[in-house]
This record gives sequence, structure tokens and C-alpha cells, in this order.
Amino acid sequence: MECSFALTGKGYVLIAADTTAARSIVKMKADEDKIKSLGPHLLMAYSGEPGDTVQFAEYVERNIRLYQIRNLYPLRPASAASWVRRALADSLRSRSPYSVNLLLGGYDTATHAPSLYWIDYLGTQAEVPFACHGYGSYFALSLLDRYHDPEASLEEGLATLRRCIDEVAKRLVVAPGKYKVKVVDKDGVREIEL
Amino acid sequence: MNTFVNQFSTSSALSVIKKAQAVTDDDEEFSDAAWGSEAGFGSLAKGVPSFSVPAVQDPTSFLRLHTDDHADPNCRIKIQHGTTTLAFRFQGGVIVAVDSRATAGSYIASGTVKKVIEINPYLLGTMAGGAADCQYWETYLGIQCRLHELRNRERISVAAASKYLSNLVYGYKGMGLSMGTMICGWDKTGPAVFYVDSDGSRLKGDLFSVGSGSTFAYGVLDQGYRWDLTDEEAQELGRRSIYAAGHRDAFSGNTCNLYHVKEDGWRFIGNYDITKMHYDGPGDVPGSTKVAYGYDVRVEGRTSSNPPVAAAA
Amino acid sequence: MSIMEYNGGSVIAMVGKGCVAIGSDLRLGNQALTVATNFEKVFPVTDRIYLGMSGLATDVATLREQFRFRVNMYQIKEERDIEPEAFAHLVSSTLYERRFGPYFIEPVIGGLWKTQGGEYKPYIAAADLIGCLNFAKDFVVAGTASEKLFGVAEGLWEPDLEPEDLFETISQTLMNGVDRDAYSGWGAIIHIVTPDKVVTRTLKGRMD
Repeated sequence: MECSFALTGKGYVLIAADTTAARSIVKMKADEDKIKSLGPHLLMAYSGEPGDTVQFAEYVERNIRLYQIRNLYPLRPASAASWVRRALADSLRSRSPYSVNLLLGGYDTATHAPSLYWIDYLGTQAEVPFACHGYGSYFALSLLDRYHDPEASLEEGLATLRRCIDEVAKRLVVAPGKYKVKVVDKDGVREIEL
Repeated sequence: MNTFVNQFSTSSALSVIKKAQAVTDDDEEFSDAAWGSEAGFGSLAKGVPSFSVPAVQDPTSFLRLHTDDHADPNCRIKIQHGTTTLAFRFQGGVIVAVDSRATAGSYIASGTVKKVIEINPYLLGTMAGGAADCQYWETYLGIQCRLHELRNRERISVAAASKYLSNLVYGYKGMGLSMGTMICGWDKTGPAVFYVDSDGSRLKGDLFSVGSGSTFAYGVLDQGYRWDLTDEEAQELGRRSIYAAGHRDAFSGNTCNLYHVKEDGWRFIGNYDITKMHYDGPGDVPGSTKVAYGYDVRVEGRTSSNPPVAAAA
Repeated sequence: MSIMEYNGGSVIAMVGKGCVAIGSDLRLGNQALTVATNFEKVFPVTDRIYLGMSGLATDVATLREQFRFRVNMYQIKEERDIEPEAFAHLVSSTLYERRFGPYFIEPVIGGLWKTQGGEYKPYIAAADLIGCLNFAKDFVVAGTASEKLFGVAEGLWEPDLEPEDLFETISQTLMNGVDRDAYSGWGAIIHIVTPDKVVTRTLKGRMD
């Protein structure tokens, strides 16, 4: 079952998503990258219906890049989140809606603040200090209520993220094995080895 | 005199009267004597007491018709699924912590439900699932435990007590009992926690959490648990875990009831309002760090933004 | 579970003496799981009109943007601000446009309208999800806790309350009403709309 977590810290957003691609009882691939880089300071983790996920994520990526080409300035995280939410809300009542859940994390270079948005397949959007999608959220949210610190350094944030992953591994029946972790901060997007 | 005639004859006056009485008697499985010490529960001489089952073709689906609120939200018997209960054992005994909310659909029917059943002064049982089922059968378990003491001149072990309960509910498997309970106590083997449910499972373990909010409680409980917690730390962990579940789960909340089972029996530690713990912390209790539990309160004034430090001119 | 209960949340508006109060809880849920505790459901439409929407959160956000567009168009065309009664009918017709595939929200409108004489009078209205308007004179409620809110409001409301007293009344109504509902709560926000200013207060409610 797909799990993704994200949390904000001092000047960064950490996003982790599992790397399992499964079909019915078979694990088809164990190193799938489910976090897309949408811009120099924007990351999006996706989960949901196979096919819909990658199609929608690429659609979003290309449109965000188009905005940057046209306007010479990348979309700020809040506006990008709003655009993505609108794309999902419009698709909800169309002939075949996208069924994708997202975690959108970005660093706004103008206000020097990281922000994280929880967006679900209906187009519900909430700005939150930490978020999860999937069954993992039932275990990780209370843990993050307890241990999350918005002023945590990157090391401390990674420690909290490790706690979430360990808790899910311990308690969820079909816990994913490996996770991919990426961070976005004032220097851009990079991958981190947990 | 004539005892053989009275007992074995089928055509004497006495036997005719007896037959007539048998026909007109209520077909009661429990006679009045059953409620006193005459009854001898478990004594096969008087027959094993049994439960009246509704006079319908298929009791299982009959009960499901009336209790399944997924199929029919207006069903007559509402089983309280929403709850959070937890119990864990550590070097200082067993901590049992529960919330106190009862919901019927989305309506909060009560915020003062007692979800810990005091079976006897050294055994506790938690309630999750059907309230009536838990209350009745755990009280019945108390009766069994006392009888065990009288017959064997020693306290019943937690393993045996939980086995009584588990065997009992297994007899009703499939008929619609709904119970997810933890039997906790301290016996010759030390502190013990057994999870027993109405499917017939019985599991021995160090820590369990049951109910709709159990996953949230596990998140905090697992991360803070160690065998060598002090009494105060363990109580604090129990409180925090129930707070975590009450905060995130819509069907758990109101207050937390905390119990501590030690070698000489259980002790009720206190009743803590979950909203008060969010804003002010648990108050002046041993083990509390005097810090509010709520996330917004804990991180007030802290921000993730990191504006570049202005270079000195 | 009904789609109207999926995200949870409740809204209420009350009439006072020359003022209106409108408020909502702050919960955003995913069935039983609480996702966020900062999801406001009341939005300003003009300086003197506020719109609250309970129901499915995605439609709350979509309609908030839709009404912003339509009210801006109205203002451009009419060269004046929209009045509450016209806005209520705008809401009603927007919802009825989707009669056979509706938005899953129940709106509550609270505002002040300018009479011929120049004084401001309070106005509230509510609608169902396909736009049937309810022009109440005292209070309107919507959301998962609506039945509980009706009960408390009926008990506490009286006519001609001054802004401060109205704030007390609506706060007590909202806090106690949502305390009996599993899907609403986790804090509340109240706006008191008077002719010269709008006072917004966030309430510390039960967080469970």
C-alpha cells in the first residue's frame, strides 16, 4: 500500500514516498520514483490510480514549466498548489477523473518560507506543517503531532522522518520496504539517502 | 418408602402428576435456583447454563440485520465502534488508558463512558466494540475468577482469566458479539496483558491498542515505549497516547481514564480532559513535563521560514 | 457515509441589532481522520457580506473562486458593490445550474444591506445544495452539526442583540453544538459584521 510523508523544517520541506510499484499481490518494481520536481524550488509526491498518477504529474510538470517559460519567473508554491487543486477539481466532474493524491512542497524564495500542501483526489487542499497520504497516515500523523518541530534542522527533520517510516514498518500489515527522500530548500531540490 | 416406585414408575399417580407438570412448566433453562450458590456454574450435574437464542431460523443473520450500521444506519442496536483503548506492561506493572466517548453515527452520545471494567481488585478489562457485550461478559468473568479462587485457594492467573473469556466468546463466534478487550493484571509471572476479541483471538503481548483511534495511539506509544520506564513516565506515555488518538480520531476523545496495575492490585490514577491536556497539559501530576500536549500550543511562535540574516552594513 | 459528511464541518449565521455574526468550525477531515485544524469555511465577499459553506471541501474551494469571479463581474458591470439579497440569489442560481450533478455544499450568507434612508440592516440567508433559499429572520445553520446547532440557537438567541452580546451568543451556540458532533469542531472562527468594521475572532474549542 502506498505511503508518503512530508514535513517542514527550518527553511526546507522534506518529502518521502515509498518506491514500490505493485499490481494485485505482486511487487513489480521496488525502486520507482514517485516524487517529481516541478520547478527549481517545488516538489510533488504522488500516489493513487496507476496510470493516472504519472499522466497527471507530467501534465502538472509541463504546465508549471510553461508558466516559467512565458513569465520568466517560476510559479510560487502557493500559486502552484492552487493551480494543481483547480486541475484536480475540474477533472472530478469530467468523464474520467484523475484519481491522484498529492503532497506539494516548495520553498518560496520571495518570503524565504517553506510551505507544504496536502491535496487529495477530490481537489481538497490544506496548508499544513506536516502531512501524509495512504494507510501510513493513520500511524504517522499522531507521531508527527508529538515530535514535529517547525524549527528543526535538516538532521532533526530526517530523524523524525525515520521515526515515521519505522512506525509504519512496524505496524502496517503491508508496509513498503524502501522510501525515496527528497528535500527542497533555498538551494533547490536534491535527493537524500536515509 | 416406596422410593423405587416413585422414581421409576411411569404409570403411578405421582409420575402422571410429574409428567403433567413437565408439560405445563415454562421451558426455562435457568430456574430460580440458578441465581444462588445452588446453581454451581460449571458444574455439569445441573447442566451447563446456556443463553436464550432468538426463536428465528438463522440467529446470525437476524442479529446482523439489527446491528450492521454499514448496511442500514437506522438499525435498532447501535454497536459503539469508535473508541481508543490501550494497555502496556513494563517493569512497574501495567498501564491501562482509555478514552470516554460514545458515538451513535456522528452524534456524540456521551463523553463520560467508563471503558475500563474493574473485574476484581487485581484484574482490569477494557471495553471496545459493543458496550453491553463487554460489560456483561467481563462481569461474568469476574464471577468465574472468584469461583476459581474458592476452588483452588489461589488467585487466578491473567492467562487463565483471559482463556475463560476467550473460550466463552468462541462459543458465540459468528453470532454477532462484538468485543475487543484487553485483560490486564499482575500474577505470579509478573505483569501481563492479553488481547481477547469476539473472533476468538487471544494474544499475549507487551502492548496493545484497540479501537478506531488505535493507530494514532500506536504512533505515539511505540515511539515512547521501553520496558524500563519509571511509573511516572509510563503514566505520562499512556496519557499522551490517548490524547494523540482523541485529537486525530473523530470518534475518540472527551476524557482519558488512566489506571495502573501493580503487584497488589490496580489503582485509578485519574481522569484527564483531552482538551485541557491540549491547551494546558495534564496539570500537576507526577510524570508530567508541565508542557501542553497540543501541537499548535507546543510550536507557538516557531516558524519554518529562514530569511537570510541581513549583512551588517 | 454521506458525501456531505466526508470532510465534516458546520457553519452558522445570526442576526443582531444592526449587525450580523457568521462563524464556522475549523476542522478538515477525511472521514474519521482529522487532516487539518485551520480550514476556515467563511469567506468575505464584499466589505459587508460574508459567505460560509459547509460540505465537501473541494467544492467549498471551487465555489469560493467561482463566486469571487461572479461578484467581480457584477461589480464591473454595475459599478457598485453587490447587496446581500442579490448575492443570495446569485448563490441560488449558481447552485441550480448544477441541478443534476450538484456541488455538495450548503451555503450560509450573512451581510448588511443599505436601506433607502442610508442605515444598514442585517440580512441572513441559507440554501440547500441545489439552491433553495431560506430567508430566516433569526439564525441559519448548516453542516454536520446543524441539528445540534438548531437546538442550542433556539435556546440562546433573542432579538436585538448588540454586537458583543451577539458574539457571546453565537460563540456559545457554535462551541456547544459542535461538541456533540464527531465530525465538527477543533476550533472555530467568528466574524461580527457591523456597518463600520468587521471583527474576526478565533475561538479555542475542544480539540478532540
